[in-house]
Amino acid sequence: MYSTVISGTLLGVQACLVSVEADISPGLPAFQMVGSLSCEVRESRERVWAALKNAGLDIPPTHITVNVSPADLKKEGTALDLPIAVAILEALEYFPQGTADNMLFLGELGLNGEVKRVRGVLPIVREAAGRGVKECIVPRANVAEGAVIPDIAVRGVSTIKELLDFLQAGSQEREGILPAHRILAKKLFGKRRLWEENDFAQVSGQESAKRAALIAAAGFHNLLMVGPPGAGKSMIAKRIPGIMPPLTLGESLEVTSVVSVAGLLKEEQALVTERPFQSPHHTISQAALTGGGSMPRPGVISLAHRGVLFLDELPEFQRNVLDSMRQPLEEHSVQVSRVNANFSYPADFMLVCAMNPCPCGYYPNRNQCRCTTQQIKKYMSRVSGPILDRIDLCVELHAVDISSLHNGKRAESSKELRERVETARMWQEKRFKGTKYRFNGDISGAEAEKYCALGKQERKCMEELYNTLQLSARVYHRILKVARTIADLAGEEAIKEEHLLEAACYRPAQDYWI
Amino acid sequence: MRQEEAYYAYWLSSLPGIGNRTIERLMETCGSAEQIYMASEAELKQVLHGKQLESLKTVKRAWKLEEAYERLITQKIGFTWQGSENYPERLCHIPDAPFALFYKGGLPQSEVPAVAVIGARECSQYGSYVAAELGKYLGQQGIQVISGMARGIDGISQEEALKAGGISFGVLGCGVDICYPEANRGLYEKLLQRGGVLSSYLPGTLPAARNFPPRNRIVSGLCDAVVVIEARSRSGTLITVDMALEQGKEVYVVPGRVTDRLSDGCNRLLKQGAGVFLSPQDFVEELGELGKQQKNQEFQGGSVNRMVQNKQGELSGKARISALSEEEQLIYRLLDFSPQPIEKIAGRLSESIPLSRVSMILIRLCMEGYAVQISPGRFCVRGQ
Repeated sequence: MYSTVISGTLLGVQACLVSVEADISPGLPAFQMVGSLSCEVRESRERVWAALKNAGLDIPPTHITVNVSPADLKKEGTALDLPIAVAILEALEYFPQGTADNMLFLGELGLNGEVKRVRGVLPIVREAAGRGVKECIVPRANVAEGAVIPDIAVRGVSTIKELLDFLQAGSQEREGILPAHRILAKKLFGKRRLWEENDFAQVSGQESAKRAALIAAAGFHNLLMVGPPGAGKSMIAKRIPGIMPPLTLGESLEVTSVVSVAGLLKEEQALVTERPFQSPHHTISQAALTGGGSMPRPGVISLAHRGVLFLDELPEFQRNVLDSMRQPLEEHSVQVSRVNANFSYPADFMLVCAMNPCPCGYYPNRNQCRCTTQQIKKYMSRVSGPILDRIDLCVELHAVDISSLHNGKRAESSKELRERVETARMWQEKRFKGTKYRFNGDISGAEAEKYCALGKQERKCMEELYNTLQLSARVYHRILKVARTIADLAGEEAIKEEHLLEAACYRPAQDYWI
Repeated sequence: MRQEEAYYAYWLSSLPGIGNRTIERLMETCGSAEQIYMASEAELKQVLHGKQLESLKTVKRAWKLEEAYERLITQKIGFTWQGSENYPERLCHIPDAPFALFYKGGLPQSEVPAVAVIGARECSQYGSYVAAELGKYLGQQGIQVISGMARGIDGISQEEALKAGGISFGVLGCGVDICYPEANRGLYEKLLQRGGVLSSYLPGTLPAARNFPPRNRIVSGLCDAVVVIEARSRSGTLITVDMALEQGKEVYVVPGRVTDRLSDGCNRLLKQGAGVFLSPQDFVEELGELGKQQKNQEFQGGSVNRMVQNKQGELSGKARISALSEEEQLIYRLLDFSPQPIEKIAGRLSESIPLSRVSMILIRLCMEGYAVQISPGRFCVRGQ
């Protein structure tokens, strides 16, 4: 007897639907699996066998062949256990043929027949809904994940026996055995706000750093903070996601897909509703940062997609690790190539870096800093050029003195800052409608002039700046983009001289320290 | 005869393990470089010990007198030694003077006044400003500026002296054919044109830490007075001052703020009785030298016009600010030579101006040349 069942596998963060076919023939007892399967999929054989036996479902000694098609696509993960079991049960006529048509199955089986959680349910359910599949059976622990997708009924199952009852029941009783789970995405977005735990009002002093963080968040510009240890760089970085506008549903689906594929989605969590914040330690390896590895998984930069990637102690990162970020920063995605397939993980994040000004951390305070110019130059040169080239804003933090800690002056809260960011974002939405850009920070150098048009007087001011401050073309364009964001924050349609000058104050330049 | 003496002197100076004092004793025993060359082993044994004698014999065996000297000439390296005509006269009066000097360009003249300008390599804005002003003034007055061509105070004062049309000499801790530090190559090339580069080390000698104390002795030896601009309480500069005092030179010191570690050495010297440096004009007047030909009282430099100097010639470091707007003046007054963070400047304003506006005004001041942004968050006054 032959049967076929729909399931899915992951390619990066995209999903691909596969058919799991089972064939029962007379002959020497055997159980064979084919179809370009990786080790853990091959092991399904043992798990399915034991699970069915322990669930009380008798498998006669026959020749069983299972194929997962398309046969040339490498399949990974343990989610194919359940569909294989269902295909075998269908072929053995445990339930009427055709009952499982137009249903997608996913799940790992425990030896006792329990259905366990798997990675990547969201992208697979999304793909299935897009292809017109009407029902999805997933592990109970994953049911919240799939439930946000409209036009598909998602049911969570905990044992194989339960599933069999469901499949054997008449259509009216089915809903009672395994109810479809539905979650309205809108409801999820109203709840917790990040700033309740991390608020900008908690940062004392550091006004210029806070201003720079505001500008960076408003225009999605990459930011570099320089300062001695303990000045508050990490503190400010952590609070930046809280002032960025909330995730849209589309963005949230993207982010949740990545987290799901990485296996990090919490149980009962349906969607990621807050912007991610990733802060890898500087000893991180290249594979862990950008993604890949022998079993490709999303890297930290993909987990920071649509959020903030914070690199603390930037010069301590290995050079090759920083260099591997060059392409993702440019293209907003990571390409992973394997022998059998190429796929990409998304990586559209805002980069925030922090570093000391010199090895001891106290430059340019010559009373405390004894580093020679050579040492400082060497320290600075450890920061890879391509990374610095993509930083739009550079701000210095100073050691906080006791008076500002005791100040009691009311600092702007994250809520207030977020409102200002939203205003700026609206301007950008209007400006970039119909183009590939979304924020001022995205604009490639050459197009900066187009989107950041200047009046005659302003153009003259930029010329003067260019000459007196000895700017390069790259820095010039960066100042334009940042000035555009400052103008957006101020609600001004045209860029004024004051915006240009303030942007020039934040320009990143390697020659400061020399 | 003279020419040949040079050959022998060159040979003598190249002997490893045989330094100034040994050469002095050899000269006393044998009479001249040529005679040392011709001397018998027995004679030499009176002064040299075993190893020195061995090295002398080894070098002598391979040495081709004329050829070696011609090579110097091809490389455009000049050679002078104690007793020759062009050996700097001032060095004749110091203890432990170098026997030989290699040079490129020229040698300091004994009739023209010479001042050594020394100080910290990692100097502050204040130090670089004073060094530059002093170098400029000395250059204008035609006073020879002697220094070590190092980073920081040395290089700045020499560079400015040359720019102002003056003459300067750099004494190196390596061979004259090697430019150390590499970052001062521009200065090195200029010194070859207007002044010279000297060394007591053989051409090809690489810079080494132990070469600098003898070099510093030559720097102070070649001058009439030393000016110390910035020095920490324990620094190479102070060692040079000790040598200068030994040589009987006048030492003038630039006072600094007691909160600056870079002025600790200087202030301490002042306590010990060094001369006080108040301004370039004041210093030169005290020296009793009013310069010769190149005195140019109408020096027109763009920045000088803005530099406010009162009738006594005091340095103020600050520019005329009447051209600035009221807000700009307010902020400019709060700046000084030590770099200050933007927040501090904004905090010191009596009426508060929003931070973004303060940043804007500071950048405008940078554009117009009144201030300089020395790091992303700090500004200080522009001394030039």
